[in-house]
Amino acid sequence: MALTGRFSLLVALGVVPVVLLGADAAVAWATLLGWLLLALALGGIDLALAASPRRVAVERDLPSRLRLGETVGSELVLRNLGRRRLRAEVRDGWPPSAGVHGRNRSRVDVPAGEGRRVRLALTPTRRGDRVTEAITVRSHGPLGLWARQATLAAPGRLRVLPPFHSRAHLPSRLTRLRELDGRTPILVRGQGTEFDSLREYVRGDDVRSIDWRATARRADPESPGAAKLMVRTWRPERDRRIVIVVDTSRTAAARIGDEPRLDTAYEAALLLAALASHAGDRVDLLLWDRRRRGRVHGASGADLLARMVDTMADVDAELIEADWAGVPAQVRSVTSRRALVVLLTAADSPGSARGLLSVLPQLTARHRVVVASVTDPTLEAAVSRRDELADVYAAAAAERTRLDGDRVAAAVRQLGATTVAAGPAELPPALADRYLELKAAGQL
Amino acid sequence: MSAVREDHALPSSPESGSEPARAARAVSPGVRASLRRGRTWIVVAVALLAGALVLVALQGAIRAPGPPLAADDPAPGGAQALARVLADRGVEVRQVRSLDAALAEARRGATVFVHDGLGVLDRARIGELAAVADAIVVARPDFASLEVLAPGVRLAGAVDGAPGAAGCAVPAADRAGTLSDGQRLLTIDDDAAASGFTGCFPSGDGFAVVAGTAPDGAEVVLVGATTPFANESIDEAGNAALAVGLLGARDEVVWYLPGPGDADAAEAPTLAELTPGWVSPVLVLLVVATIAAGIWRGRRFGPLVVEDLPVHVPASETGEGRARLYARSSARLRAIDQIRIGTIRRLSAVLRLPRSADVDAVVVSAAQATGQPAASVRALLVDAVPQDDRELVRLARDLDGLERAVHAAIAPDPSLDATDPTGRRT
Repeated sequence: MALTGRFSLLVALGVVPVVLLGADAAVAWATLLGWLLLALALGGIDLALAASPRRVAVERDLPSRLRLGETVGSELVLRNLGRRRLRAEVRDGWPPSAGVHGRNRSRVDVPAGEGRRVRLALTPTRRGDRVTEAITVRSHGPLGLWARQATLAAPGRLRVLPPFHSRAHLPSRLTRLRELDGRTPILVRGQGTEFDSLREYVRGDDVRSIDWRATARRADPESPGAAKLMVRTWRPERDRRIVIVVDTSRTAAARIGDEPRLDTAYEAALLLAALASHAGDRVDLLLWDRRRRGRVHGASGADLLARMVDTMADVDAELIEADWAGVPAQVRSVTSRRALVVLLTAADSPGSARGLLSVLPQLTARHRVVVASVTDPTLEAAVSRRDELADVYAAAAAERTRLDGDRVAAAVRQLGATTVAAGPAELPPALADRYLELKAAGQL
Repeated sequence: MSAVREDHALPSSPESGSEPARAARAVSPGVRASLRRGRTWIVVAVALLAGALVLVALQGAIRAPGPPLAADDPAPGGAQALARVLADRGVEVRQVRSLDAALAEARRGATVFVHDGLGVLDRARIGELAAVADAIVVARPDFASLEVLAPGVRLAGAVDGAPGAAGCAVPAADRAGTLSDGQRLLTIDDDAAASGFTGCFPSGDGFAVVAGTAPDGAEVVLVGATTPFANESIDEAGNAALAVGLLGARDEVVWYLPGPGDADAAEAPTLAELTPGWVSPVLVLLVVATIAAGIWRGRRFGPLVVEDLPVHVPASETGEGRARLYARSSARLRAIDQIRIGTIRRLSAVLRLPRSADVDAVVVSAAQATGQPAASVRALLVDAVPQDDRELVRLARDLDGLERAVHAAIAPDPSLDATDPTGRRT
């Protein structure tokens, strides 16, 4: 049961008769009592005439997923199964981060036996699953004095996917990828290259790439003197494996700039996956801290990105230390072939990177490893500001942080891996560029 | 029979019919369910209420408490016992609450018993009473009544334990012999003693009972405390004998307990008379309306929704914490060394020195590039130890200045670049 503002106004209006009739105290008290009884009686009648909020059928019409930042319409169909007209306010039980537009109080007027649609616009403010369990219906009587209220089960789930802002960088990288593919195929054989074609020698080609056997086969029998030299060409190998390991441990919870490290890692992983799947490579994703939080394996094409964002959507950083010792086995379970292993983690202090450094040799022995980490762009400004004593100490601390990061990066390089470190906005394109470099050099 | 079948048909029709809609399961309990759920508390509340009612009934406190020492009050502070005993002895006891009634009775020659616990009567009214009454017994007299009835008799506080034996010429006191604990004392000064006031039941300088003749001629007995008259203590020691002796001397007793109408301000209009009758009801009405509005605003629209917030820690906090640690422990050398290491690394990169180049090489090339003496560059980069905060800040700034100087010396003149877009130097 609930009261309305109209009811308290009705009670307050009793001032008028009490003042008008109440020259004598006894009459005034009697008037007061009478008015209160009248208000109670009206409220009771109103309550008795209100439709039951329980005899309502609820259907929910909700898209299952959307990207963070998009707006989606959530629809409820309320069917009045009772015999009285349902004049109600409806509140849907979305949490605040579901980003309901407006007050989340919808007025509906449903005649008996009919149904009405209630629309809400949602713009979620956070990644992950947004869940609503129930709706609350407050059914008013015809006078709008008292109301009946019930909460009805109406489960709904909306999966909010990572936004993939970094796809803005994708067209330019795809252009470079196409240039890479269409470019004169490389003439030097490398580890990540495959045979492309035989063609005639033109001046300027590396003489070491002349294929003598092919030249002999192509010898023109009619003019034996005019043998054409054939050159064997190679192109970057397709169908390479890329394993992206995203560290979801406590260091991923650190917020740099506007977003936690984990979200930046997701952006970088998505851009890399989009680029690599266009280049014909096979991408697998692992989310790891002490256990496997998520895995995308064997997907390709458009399905890959969809499954990646779906896996990433409800994985948040856990406040536990990462168990790097388990990572080589995880990578092995994904592929037994040589692969490009991208570790998206925080390689910024010797203490927290010890686990990573201890397993890197196992990974670099079999794979090409790139360690990508987000750096804090504010350190740069802090280092060069030396106005006051506090600034100097802050500069010293920032310098220390950078030196720590440099030390870890040097150790990582010494163990045979390469590093990519950039600010939150720059890391995804930087990682994509590193991939393109490796691909162009045939080093995948 | 058909009605029964209809009853069965009604609820089953939405399930058996083509209509798929079925009422959603309610999560919140209905009225019946809430009653069932809150049964324990409702029972407890009812039991408490009933217990309180029984307790009140047993204590006899259901009637409104009357004034203290009322003749018809059986409570511990009342005086019904005394009034009944007096009535049994043929003394007519009439309780009055107004001065006019008391005056009328007093004119007929009745003993006037006065207990003005709230100090309602002023001097003039006591004087009026004293003028017409022949005998006045005052229980626990206040300052005003002492001044009018017995000038020279003063209040002297309470006494520990019982006062001494009567020892005076008042017959009632003499018969009583002793009094119970809890008496209050009065003193008699010389003037009063000269005008005939005598004290009974002495304790130190004071007396629990003082008798004499008022200036207006009335016989006055002043009893310091109410204990000799009250129900709870009248049966102790000689209390009853004193009370019955004082009040049973004549056939009639006027039991005068001054009411609110006898107050000095009685003629002035009360607040209730000044304001119109609707003021209090309107106040009550507004309180009710406010409560209704509170319920309106306070009724929650459905259950609370859980929002699970992820933990995000600003990454710069470790750096800030480290800076504060440096500052708190005044680790100047350590702080400046961090800046120096960073500066040397950047300088060696700018000066195109190999990564393995040692500090001396950096010092030499930096000095060459900027034209500063090598000793001062070395002091800045390696040797100088900051002794106080001022020096620390100066060193840090000088390091920054050195870095800029090296940059400026190494980089091509930007003004040339600006004037010549091809970058050629003429």
